[in-house]
Amino acid sequence: MIKLDPSFMGKVIKPGRYTGNELNIVRKDPATTLASFALAFPDVYDVGMSNLGLKILYHILNQMSDVAAERVYAPWVDMELVMRQEGIPLYTLENMRPLAEFDVVGFTLQYELSYTNILNMLDLADIPLLASQRSAQHSLVIAGGPCAFNAEPLADFVDFFVLGDGEETIKDVAHAVIEWKRSGKAGGKAEILARVAAIEGVYVPAFYDPIYHADGRMAAVTANHPAAKTPVNKRIVRDLDGAEYPNKPVVPYLDVIHDRVMLELFRGCTRGCRFCQAGVIYRPVRERQPQTLLKLAQELVDNTGYDEISLTSLSSADYSCLNNLVESLIERFKNQGVSVSLPSLRVDSFSIKLAQEVQKVRKSGLTFAPEAGTQRLRDVINKGVTEKNLEEAVGAAFQAGWSTVKLYFMIGLPTETDDDVRGIADIAYKVLDLYKTIKGRRGAKVTVSVSSFVPKPHTAFQWYAQNDMVEIERKQQLLRSLLRDRNISFNWHDVKVSFLEGVFARGDRRLGKVLLSAWQQGAKFDGWSEHFRFDVWQEAFRQSGIDPAFYALRDREHNEVLPWDHLSSGVDKEFLLQEYRAALAGGLTVDCRRGMCGDCGVCSGLGVEVIDWGEGRNDKVTTGDY
Amino acid sequence: MTKLRLEITKGEEIRYISHLDYARTMERALRRSKMPVAYSEGFNPHMKMSFASALSVGVTSEAEYMEVELSKPVSAEKVFAALAHQLPPTIAIKRVKEVVGKQKALMAMVNLAVYKIVMPWHGDQMEYVAKDAVSRFNRTETVLYVKENPKGNREIDIKKYIAEAVEVVVGPKGAELSMVVWITPQGSVKPSEVLKVLVEDFAFPGSFEAALIKRSGLYVQIDHERLSPMEM
Ligand code: SF4
Repeated sequence: MIKLDPSFMGKVIKPGRYTGNELNIVRKDPATTLASFALAFPDVYDVGMSNLGLKILYHILNQMSDVAAERVYAPWVDMELVMRQEGIPLYTLENMRPLAEFDVVGFTLQYELSYTNILNMLDLADIPLLASQRSAQHSLVIAGGPCAFNAEPLADFVDFFVLGDGEETIKDVAHAVIEWKRSGKAGGKAEILARVAAIEGVYVPAFYDPIYHADGRMAAVTANHPAAKTPVNKRIVRDLDGAEYPNKPVVPYLDVIHDRVMLELFRGCTRGCRFCQAGVIYRPVRERQPQTLLKLAQELVDNTGYDEISLTSLSSADYSCLNNLVESLIERFKNQGVSVSLPSLRVDSFSIKLAQEVQKVRKSGLTFAPEAGTQRLRDVINKGVTEKNLEEAVGAAFQAGWSTVKLYFMIGLPTETDDDVRGIADIAYKVLDLYKTIKGRRGAKVTVSVSSFVPKPHTAFQWYAQNDMVEIERKQQLLRSLLRDRNISFNWHDVKVSFLEGVFARGDRRLGKVLLSAWQQGAKFDGWSEHFRFDVWQEAFRQSGIDPAFYALRDREHNEVLPWDHLSSGVDKEFLLQEYRAALAGGLTVDCRRGMCGDCGVCSGLGVEVIDWGEGRNDKVTTGDY
Repeated sequence: MTKLRLEITKGEEIRYISHLDYARTMERALRRSKMPVAYSEGFNPHMKMSFASALSVGVTSEAEYMEVELSKPVSAEKVFAALAHQLPPTIAIKRVKEVVGKQKALMAMVNLAVYKIVMPWHGDQMEYVAKDAVSRFNRTETVLYVKENPKGNREIDIKKYIAEAVEVVVGPKGAELSMVVWITPQGSVKPSEVLKVLVEDFAFPGSFEAALIKRSGLYVQIDHERLSPMEM
């Protein structure tokens, strides 16, 4: 057990990040369990504590009597310095146990720019970085989460990846590890890898060999082991309503982000925005029943004492029974000082009515995401929002007393012209004018937040060449010159960060050496502007002889083998291509949740169904008696 | 409206949480206890609770006080039982009493804090050097210290806040200091600040960062009578 000396805890900011002892932690005696998991988030505690996926895995693993799961986060740079000086290895918060003592160290991959932190954490834990350097005596390093759908840039470092919903997979993995340990780890590491490779949703990169063309493009990824599946399908929870949910999550002392009850209404979103990866990899939509959610909300409030329930899902306003649910929650909890909040609003007046009912958003402004500045471009990305929708929504918000509006857009989308970019500014001014028309005076504040589009694997835009940094900067400049009203504030993203994100999002296994080299030269916390060092990355690319533009800035052939083709979300590549073509033609695709099935391949391919408890649905999908 | 006063201890394991974190922790524990806590009116209702004196980060305490208002009368015993079950393992509740009659706010009431500080053992010379440092400190009339603050530094005379001579005994673990400090409407001095001065200006042995500081009492001193808020 690691002991922290007060003399060095005084040297770090927020020492509470490293001391654990929070409410509801599960602390098991390592001697009484057969398998141990360290669940790792590759960023600081205050960011990582809010991750729902890890809360779910923590809950499920600790429900198993012979398994222990503990938590670990990336120490901030000040604590890292102390740990390196004092020789303290990276440890978990429950038992202050060194990571290297765990059977499994599992990382969640939420963001490409956290990859160097994974390397740094392994290094701080004294665990060899390369999978090939780790034997049966070392921890197994595994990873899951959205970025696992293109696992390749991390393939050198991770023993196996878990694709899709983790609820069931993690139990299978735990059982496999227990059996392997019972056998005295017979067959060594090769044996455990072969065992897990047979589990649905598990990808063991060492069992596959990438082959490249002379020009650098991928020729094929071939299996080299009998247990290797091609492709590896994601795992999916068919009955989300019946799935286990963390009803007694750890409650931090520190003020962390999203520090509230998180109630997951449903998983998946089939609105079909063509830039959105989550909309593909979490398909299809599966809702929980309102009664289940009310029961969970009660347990969560009772077990945590939080004063806010956040309805979290990809697009919470789409929940079929939202009105009833919100009313019931408000009614039930109002005497306990517990409010309800919605993290995202749809661009329509229905959402405004709802926002009026829930209190928490009152004091802050409202956020809408039209994503693109013109109708033409919104059609390209299949964002089903019209100018009229936006006008109605914002108008309703102003009438209801709001005066601050935040608008989210992207630049660098396929087919984008300068007119589309100017359209963003037009919308901002229209919103200001709308306020004046409604209220008879000026006084609205509009924040225009513009991110740079990064094409992601498993989306319709996975073939598209990302705009280069010069082009994005030019468009940012154009917007800056147009948004010169003091009632409009304009935020944009660092082009270098988006470029690097784009390289790793669609990268292949060869990027492993770049990652290693950048980390060796000090790259870490790349997602934090104060730590991001582009020069280090440029040097790492140069030393590795790899051109980052090859990954991010190249239009890929439609028949090209993509580095993630052997990892399947269940959505057919052909469907994505069809969507890409529809995008270029400006054609719309309807949401299959209540509209027609677009035949993306998930439901038939993985034997699942859309589950939505609302009325008036397409009768192809079973309702009610599921 | 029932008002209750609570006496609470804050343990070793959570000494690194701030006062705000602690306040939030208590608020959540009260909510879990399902006691009928009163809320303020308005869009963002707040639980009606207040604290005596904020504890600095890194300090443990045997004497934290807070008050909470209830919307329905519930006995102190019942609240004690309900809340005791809901506290994280590192926070304990010692006593609960009902506040009767009109009383000053806790924060305005307490004016004296007692701290116990353990400085880890620091070699054979410790006893002599420690006692000498403390006695010189006690004899010095004015001890200036610059309080650092992001909004600008401020020089204070520490001795104005020292209510009694600092005491030191040296045992097997190290030196144990006792400090009695005034809390005034114009401010106070932190035990860590006194310690820092003792080490840096009076050659007290050891590194002040390694010290374990505990608040052992928080009082209302009127003339020569020293009462705990639970006795008011
Ligand atoms: S298969 Fe059809 S219903 Fe299922 S997610 Fe795809 S488009 Fe929707």
